[in-house]
Amino acid sequence: MTYGENGTQIRAGLSGLLRQHRIQHRLGGRGTHTLPETTTVEQRREMGERIRRYRAGALMWCLQAVEAANPRINLETFDRARRPAAELHHRLATSYLASDMELPSLEEMTTAQEVPIVESWRQIAKAAALGEHDFMAGVGHGRLSERECLTVLNDAAEVTRAIVVLDKRYANVPGWQQICERGRLRDAAEACSDLAAQHEPDFSVDSRGWRPPSALIEGQRLPGIGGVLQAQHNMLVHLSKPPNALNLRRVLDGQRIVSHEAARRASQVAPELVERWVKREQTYQALTDEARNVGGLVGDGGPAAAEAANAVSRLHHVHVNEVADPACLQDLDKLFIRIDARVASVIEEGVAENRYFVGVKVPRLVDAKDHQISPLRQRYVPITSPVQTDLLRIVRHDLRPASAVAAPVPKDRGRVELHESIEHRPQRRSAPDR
Amino acid sequence: MLLAHAVTLAEARSYVAALAGHAMTFEASAEYERTLLELDAIHGGEVPPATEVDLDERDVLYNVAEAAIEELVDHGVDALRVELILARLEDARDLDQP
Repeated sequence: MTYGENGTQIRAGLSGLLRQHRIQHRLGGRGTHTLPETTTVEQRREMGERIRRYRAGALMWCLQAVEAANPRINLETFDRARRPAAELHHRLATSYLASDMELPSLEEMTTAQEVPIVESWRQIAKAAALGEHDFMAGVGHGRLSERECLTVLNDAAEVTRAIVVLDKRYANVPGWQQICERGRLRDAAEACSDLAAQHEPDFSVDSRGWRPPSALIEGQRLPGIGGVLQAQHNMLVHLSKPPNALNLRRVLDGQRIVSHEAARRASQVAPELVERWVKREQTYQALTDEARNVGGLVGDGGPAAAEAANAVSRLHHVHVNEVADPACLQDLDKLFIRIDARVASVIEEGVAENRYFVGVKVPRLVDAKDHQISPLRQRYVPITSPVQTDLLRIVRHDLRPASAVAAPVPKDRGRVELHESIEHRPQRRSAPDR
Repeated sequence: MLLAHAVTLAEARSYVAALAGHAMTFEASAEYERTLLELDAIHGGEVPPATEVDLDERDVLYNVAEAAIEELVDHGVDALRVELILARLEDARDLDQP
């Protein structure tokens, strides 16, 4: 699940909880005179403790989100005039430690709760626990732009504010332990929200985060063009491991043929793709020519080369008029874009890490008195050396797609709803805030 | 790999690459390219670089490529594999018709 999906779940859960009042009654306590008490004080105490543990999970997510948004945060801990993000981090850490919080056990996270309000807290804690993976997978230090950092910071601040509001509301639950220095925590969160509000948010951060690795499509070969898609997908999965130079050349050659054959089959059904695929064929032709003298024994790539050969073989067996569904060709086009991006990365990384070399013939000085033919000396040199090939130029200018996949339309993903739930809560009618 | 072997292999690679470049059809070009890949594969990917050949007579190129590949047997390359490569080269030539 991505950062956006986990964040949405956390915000949706908190928005739902913020709409709920009379917490004692929702836990089975005494409500109005017409509603009987259904749980004992001890049971409500137990539920309250469980909710506290779920709340600790959500606060931990906030703490990690603030750290992800500000990589220098640990350096500013002792600065008296802390910036808003550092202040929020400090307050979260202080509240978390001082409140003697305990995280929920795995069993508590995975067992559905009978009482709806407790179940809502469980969902929040579960999303928070899953969301911790995102900070190590793309939503971390140095990987976010300034605006993305502010968006993450604002998310953490809004969730913190919601938890503070709910903390006050749950004060009458038996055995409830309130967040330490709640007021200061709220102030720090509000300062971060104000800071983030001065900038346009960048919701593209929602697409980052942990994703399950692509899996192979195993089993029997699919009929028709489906088999080609299967082989191309599997090749892409296998390319996650770098191939050696020979197998890289096999992959390049396979893609050239697949592009050529696919363009022939698209002329009737999806003519808009033909020009692009012919250009792709020419790009791979140029790459194949340039890669002939590339060597390098490190890596494997055998399975990727085999799947590339499968794709060619299967496409040869698809009759030119057999493809009637343009959606299949659109899927193939999406795979082409991803494969191009991956192949470009493989070559760039291989060159950077000296996995691939280019073989060149260099003349040597010899004593020519005997008029014998002196053979040229052959050497493999790094591709980044002054002896350049056009390989990298083609990769950078022709192969790598300008925009691999159209960026999704940014959505606020429940941010507005949570913000309104925090801002538009009814005024307290009981004792003043502690 | 001894020098003589490397020179022969470099010649064979250069001629097959030239054939791929001058092929009249896409299919023939692809088949020549596969011949080249197979040639490289039987040498474990450790091959001397190909050089440009200033010749566009496909018949002549084919003959010198065939001769160079056949000569690889003299340098210890497995004869069966050489024959398979020659068969593929012949298939490519059959496809190389306008």
